[in-house]
Amino acid sequence: MTPAIEMKGITKYFASTQVRANDQVDFSVESGEVHGLVGENGAGKTTLMNILYGLIKPDSGEILIDSQKVQIDHPDDAIKHGIGMVHQHFKLIPSFTVAQNILLGMEPHQSGFLNQQKENELVEDLAKKYNLPVDPAAHIRDLPVGMQQRVEILKVLEHNAKILILDEPTAVLTPQEVNELITVIRGLTKLGYTIIFITHKLVEVMSIADRVSVMRAGRMVGTKKISETSIPELARMMVGREVLLRVKKKEIPRGEVVFEARDISVSDVNGLAAISHVSFQVHKGEIVAIAGVSGNGQTELVEAISGMNSVDGGEILFRGKPVNEASVGERRDMGMAHIPEDRMVVGLNLQTTLDENLIVSRYNHAEFSRYGFLLMKTISEFAEKVVKAFSISAARSGEGISMLSGGNLQKVVVGRELSGNPAFIIANQPTRGLDVGSIEFVHKTLIEERDKGAGVLLISAELDEVMALSDRILVLYRGRIQGELNAATATEEAVGILMAGGMLEDLKREVQS
Amino acid sequence: MNNPRFRKLLDAILVPLLAILSGLVVMGILIVILDKPVFESYAILFSNGFGCKEFGNCIFITTLERATPLILTGLSAVVAFRSGMFSIGQEGQYLLGAAAAAWLGYALHLPPILHALVLLLAGMLVGSAYGWIPGILKVKLGVNELLATIMLNSIAALIVEYLVQFPMRADTSAVAHSPVIDASAQLMSFLPGSKWGVGFVIAVMAVIVVYVYLWRTKSGYEQRMAGQSRRFALFGGILSDRAAIRAMLISGALAGLAGAIEVMGVHRRIMTGFSVGLGFDGLTSAILGQVHPFGVFIVAILFSGLKLGAQLGLQLNLDIPRELGGTIIGFIILFVAAGRFYEESIARIRDWFTRRRSQNLKGESS
Repeated sequence: MTPAIEMKGITKYFASTQVRANDQVDFSVESGEVHGLVGENGAGKTTLMNILYGLIKPDSGEILIDSQKVQIDHPDDAIKHGIGMVHQHFKLIPSFTVAQNILLGMEPHQSGFLNQQKENELVEDLAKKYNLPVDPAAHIRDLPVGMQQRVEILKVLEHNAKILILDEPTAVLTPQEVNELITVIRGLTKLGYTIIFITHKLVEVMSIADRVSVMRAGRMVGTKKISETSIPELARMMVGREVLLRVKKKEIPRGEVVFEARDISVSDVNGLAAISHVSFQVHKGEIVAIAGVSGNGQTELVEAISGMNSVDGGEILFRGKPVNEASVGERRDMGMAHIPEDRMVVGLNLQTTLDENLIVSRYNHAEFSRYGFLLMKTISEFAEKVVKAFSISAARSGEGISMLSGGNLQKVVVGRELSGNPAFIIANQPTRGLDVGSIEFVHKTLIEERDKGAGVLLISAELDEVMALSDRILVLYRGRIQGELNAATATEEAVGILMAGGMLEDLKREVQS
Repeated sequence: MNNPRFRKLLDAILVPLLAILSGLVVMGILIVILDKPVFESYAILFSNGFGCKEFGNCIFITTLERATPLILTGLSAVVAFRSGMFSIGQEGQYLLGAAAAAWLGYALHLPPILHALVLLLAGMLVGSAYGWIPGILKVKLGVNELLATIMLNSIAALIVEYLVQFPMRADTSAVAHSPVIDASAQLMSFLPGSKWGVGFVIAVMAVIVVYVYLWRTKSGYEQRMAGQSRRFALFGGILSDRAAIRAMLISGALAGLAGAIEVMGVHRRIMTGFSVGLGFDGLTSAILGQVHPFGVFIVAILFSGLKLGAQLGLQLNLDIPRELGGTIIGFIILFVAAGRFYEESIARIRDWFTRRRSQNLKGESS
């Protein structure tokens, strides 16, 4: 079979960050295959694809399409050569309809007047042709994320793309939507399309790709046939060492209740109810997961629990005391730790040094300050200690942190939050955007804290993570607890149904029929 | 070059330095247009701003005297900016601090050192109180501190004008002014015939105190964290509102102190037109000085010297209108505001060098 795309000796050096993002990368995709491109964050996957799509100019190397050498300086060139890209963050106009978005810039018109009817018909035909049903008249803002992605794919197809680059397409989808996407991709390959699928989730690559290429630190490590490889092998190629994909967890008896939410309600920034009448308990020595697709009230729930926002009703009890009126600082002093979902803006201050980031929750304590003055030497020693204990490579006491990778930044957050022996840990999407190696680290650390007797509230949209870590699972859907499951007996399917707003009875009925 | 600390320092100095150089180039062009000798102008500019003919007859001493209130109002801006309060209220706080010191200087009669201390304290308190107003408005009602301080500056200027014209007026001379303050309240100068004295020492001390406060104390840490990222501060348990109010109190105190020193050490009284934009010049020093106490100190001296040299030296020696001096300073500020341009140029030049170096290395190895 002839390769649809060949990239040879691609090298790209970013002088501003002094990173060789691509180093003599060879990459070839065969016509009609689904080709997975995996690697940790910063491995150079996106740079390579941006070069192919004409968004970045390589320093050296060449690109061949259908064995013809081509020059791609701009996305227009890429589109001309039949390459289309669906970005991780969709580029759709929320207030426009599906048809208007797909036909943007090439609307059918008559003497300057648009014909809405004709647009809708065109899109309807397109959708039928590719077996990707959409409602052409629906507004993008009313559509679920999975449907928006479908619109993006249709838009690329409408531009006559033969080769589709999907950049982390599953990052924002529910498990059900992921399955639908997989069906869509299968259908497209049957029609002769070639798909490049960028991801760092190995399970997905295994279930969808024909071949997979692995990148690490700007280099191409290798290309494998899916039938001839395995998840552990791919993980090893990605990280460069053996990785525990599912951390081991021993059974321990849970202790007394450390945290309790009693019938709490919280409103969002617009004053709308985001959490309504939610109650749950977290015991010492257990990990309780709040599963759910992002945007179902997780952010508001965490802000209320941590004290960053107030509750509208209900009561929050921490170590047996009501803490509704307690400030963030008071709750932290009582032993609450918080790993926030947004490490860049909330969890860290990228404008200051490692040391000052590490003391934010405890600068007030006698260990770090005396008579109002910061104990600079102690703080610096503490920073060195955390760097060593959590092996935060590249971070040094007294230096800034803005150049650290996502994984290292998260280690700074985790290091700070867990070094005070907390009694209760809120971990909100603690591994979002992290690579396999860093995920393993965060998971191991959280389980260690649980084994030491801390109560952990894990908020996560990742089903794998919820299943791997938790002792109990609560599913949050539209601000309410949709159901509670015992992690030992729960199936991914059951959690998935609850996450999508279904009831457990639905599952039983399905099983019976 | 590879030492990160050194590189950071270099980056901090390079932009204002290039901006000042650009300003001087523009000045050269303007002087050519006026058909005056360019290189002589530069020489005069520097000898009249920073020169020293003999010990005791130093123009540079005058520069230091002029820099004193700039250092303090600059520090005032640094404390506010670092804490996330974009307050430009230094002018008003400075004026009210000066008025308070002038009034107590003649209305109160106390033994020497005590009298001076009371005046300094009064200036700080009044400035502080005036800084508190935009602070509390911001925290409680969300009023934009920038707009509030602009308005409060006008109000302060009119209040002081009224005070000088009526209740505090000493005589019926053409220019309204208050009575001279008691000798016990005046700040000593170091050299006869100069007004450079204790005030400058206070300013230098303030530079160190502000640095230590912001970077070595708990309160300073809270203020800087709240200033850089309110979300991060909230998340960590820092009470941002309290930090913002504290910042405005300190900022006001520093500007008020500048006013008191200007009365006690230089003019010995307050008169109409007392502020010649010192508050705003301090603001400029703060921005030019990378919002850092040490930067402010250097820039305030540089700024005063340029002003002295450009406005007085050029006018006296070459008959170049003093307004041209002001124009040059305006250009320098403009060039600093365009600092990104320099940063990008520097980054591009650096990129080019590193690429060349890596290519050379490759060439050697192959």
